[in-house]
Amino acid sequence: MKGASERAGAASGVAIACQGVSFAYLEGDRGVKALNEVTFSLSAGATVALLGPTGSGKSTLLQAMRGLLEPNEGEVRLDGLSRGEPGFAERQREVGIVFQTPEMQLFAMSAFEDVSFGPRQLGWPTDDVRAAAEEAMEQVGLPVAVFGARHPYSLSGGEQRRLALAGVLAMRPRVLLLDEPFVSLDPVARRELAAVLRALVAGGIGLIVATHDVDHAWALCEERLVLDGGRLVASGPWRFGDGGEADLVQHRLAVPFPVRLWERLGRPLTGAPRSAEQAAEALVAPAARKGSG
Amino acid sequence: MRTAIAQYYPAESALHSRDPRAKFVAVAAVAVALFTRDSFVALAVYGAAALVALAVSRVPLAWYWRGLKPVLWLIALTFVAQLFFVPGRALVALGPLKVSGRGLELASYLSLRLIVLVLVGSLVTLTTSPISLTDAIAWLGRPLRRVRVPTEEIALMMTIALRFIPTLLVETETIMRAQRARGAAFDRGGPLRRARALIPLLVPLFVLSFRRADELALAMEARCYRPGIVRTRMHPLHAGMGDWLLLAIAAAVIVLASLL
Amino acid sequence: MARSEPGPASTPWTHWRRFATPPIEIKGLHYRYAASETEALRGVDLRVDEGEFVAVVGANGSGKSTLARLLGGLDKPSAARRAAACGHDLLTERGRWAARRAVGVLFQNPENQIVGENVEEDLAFGLENLAWPSERIRARVDEMVAAFGLGELRRREPHLLSGGQKQRTALAGVLAIPRKVLVLDEPTAMLDPAGRDEVLEAVERERAAGLTIVFVTQEMDEVVRADRVVALERGRVAFEGSPRELFAAPALVRRLSLGLPAAGALALALADLGAPLQPLPLTLDELVAALVGTSSGSGS
Repeated sequence: MKGASERAGAASGVAIACQGVSFAYLEGDRGVKALNEVTFSLSAGATVALLGPTGSGKSTLLQAMRGLLEPNEGEVRLDGLSRGEPGFAERQREVGIVFQTPEMQLFAMSAFEDVSFGPRQLGWPTDDVRAAAEEAMEQVGLPVAVFGARHPYSLSGGEQRRLALAGVLAMRPRVLLLDEPFVSLDPVARRELAAVLRALVAGGIGLIVATHDVDHAWALCEERLVLDGGRLVASGPWRFGDGGEADLVQHRLAVPFPVRLWERLGRPLTGAPRSAEQAAEALVAPAARKGSG
Repeated sequence: MRTAIAQYYPAESALHSRDPRAKFVAVAAVAVALFTRDSFVALAVYGAAALVALAVSRVPLAWYWRGLKPVLWLIALTFVAQLFFVPGRALVALGPLKVSGRGLELASYLSLRLIVLVLVGSLVTLTTSPISLTDAIAWLGRPLRRVRVPTEEIALMMTIALRFIPTLLVETETIMRAQRARGAAFDRGGPLRRARALIPLLVPLFVLSFRRADELALAMEARCYRPGIVRTRMHPLHAGMGDWLLLAIAAAVIVLASLL
Repeated sequence: MARSEPGPASTPWTHWRRFATPPIEIKGLHYRYAASETEALRGVDLRVDEGEFVAVVGANGSGKSTLARLLGGLDKPSAARRAAACGHDLLTERGRWAARRAVGVLFQNPENQIVGENVEEDLAFGLENLAWPSERIRARVDEMVAAFGLGELRRREPHLLSGGQKQRTALAGVLAIPRKVLVLDEPTAMLDPAGRDEVLEAVERERAAGLTIVFVTQEMDEVVRADRVVALERGRVAFEGSPRELFAAPALVRRLSLGLPAAGALALALADLGAPLQPLPLTLDELVAALVGTSSGSGS
């Protein structure tokens, strides 16, 4: 059972790679290709935004990465290991996934009981389960003392989402897959969730966030994977400048606001600010710095 | 995610364009008639009529086969039960089990009858869209309104249930995956353990379904629905010559089978 | 095009009537949930004039959704001095039924609004409920399919539609019944940017055609386009005025737990660093203009 210091060292994430992954599901008579030969490689601890219009296969890809569905072709590798190789199953357990609708996960009579479900299923001793659940609830800003006994469905939308996240964090994942965590949240709840995620990343957890909130994705993640119609159309670090943002616009995605501003102001897009605060600082800074990009 | 329930195969055929009420009545009559008289000849007549209808329907045979698959086990069971366990003079003996002539006869008859029954049922479901079917049932059930049975509302309920089946299937699958990722196991242990393991699946499913019911009811009321109103239809049912003809043919087949 | 009902030609009387009976007239509206001690709405006043586009904002639990439902006649107010939608008294059951006919409501979850087995059937649902004759239904459905670009999707089943397509279908279904007022309760919350644009475009078309619109939202960028904003706080109206006035008061915005449109947030960050832009820009264009106008922005 990993203690906090052990975790900080070991939690450098899990390197996830996909090699030619294809997945189709049946619709009536036809097979619909949700994923079409997707290939990419992420390093351990990477922070990645998974972008694409609805129906582009983001959810399917996340589920495939966690091993919840088997690709028809290709394979998913964790830390370079393939399914069946020793160590793969263990790595897979360290990949946590939070689905879009928290109501799909919450089922227990109290928040604390729900969060404890995961670690208990992993077979941890009772004390460890309790400690993990308490820590997880603290991490998401729902302290046990206040929220532990509350019924999950009595919480607000934002709180439920964070509770579902706690349920996964309690299993001490090394990388977190999140499917549209910001949808339906009001601006305050979004900010709170983003702060939680930022803290987790600072603690060493890898992050793959499927979202169409491009502004939060830009603030949180260093690189992006862009899906369209099941195909991977862009990967690697964000690329604006040299027409890089065409990646996004071409696939009907929004461009982060600070980047749009920088473009309108004619400022170099590499090194564009990640948030409103950063943008403001850059604007206020002496003009001499502006050209160095 | 497709299920075999109410499977509809859109196409242009003489059967597809028939009024669903006529189809429903014709098939119901044939189904009842099938069971009122035990005769191979009668069965042959019904079988032949079904095959002709099959050809007219322009639905690929594979789809009829798919409709049979779920009941194959029942057909096999019936066959075996009759084959070995009907007393009579033995034709062949396999150890302690005796196959009697009468058993063979019964086994074949009952199995074939089941097959014809399923085929005849498929003729309706494959050539009639679910909403036409519910319209037909609502119309046919109208007399029941006199005894306070809410046929219109039941028909609407069936339509909505059908519309949400694919959605529910996806949701169930997603919930299972989400909980599996937290270590839930739905396929381990004895019946008691498995029942308990279903809680993380059933609670979310129920919660989501109740919420759906609430929201859907509100959306329906916002479009001026309320139970008990008289509703018109965009595509009202309209019986024509072809439909009366269908009923006449069905009647003829039944009469023929009864006489032979 | 949602108002295809023939009406009297414009006369001084109709002008006076327009002024005298606004589509929405609420005074002292209270609402309490059955099992609850606290009131969700505590004395709300709201008046919406014909053709206006009013945004309603507020934190979770401020009563926005409750208000939207009541405006549509979908629930019974606990008390009110006056509560009228298109002249129908929301305090009486008959008035509420009439209001459901005149006021259309679009909800947040596209999935849970579609009843029909395909798009066409769903568009017809409301008209079938009103017992319209079949040919009139078919004609109206054709109109809506054309107006909302649903031609290719006519026979498609709901589970094969994208979120944006579902919400467009739901909106078309709501407006298939000719309406005087359209209330929308966070209609884009569950959609991706493409879906959001689809729905907002459709709403703007209705607005341009003269439909009165009440738009409940958490997206501050959507608030900017409104004629007027009403902000709720714990069941009461805490602010009423233009979007510009609202966003020009950051302390108020913070207190009400609202965000700012992206441009406003950035301008606010500048103000915190001692470089305020007046007046507060609310759109990208305004922000760029304000920055280029000062010395700290130009890029060339």
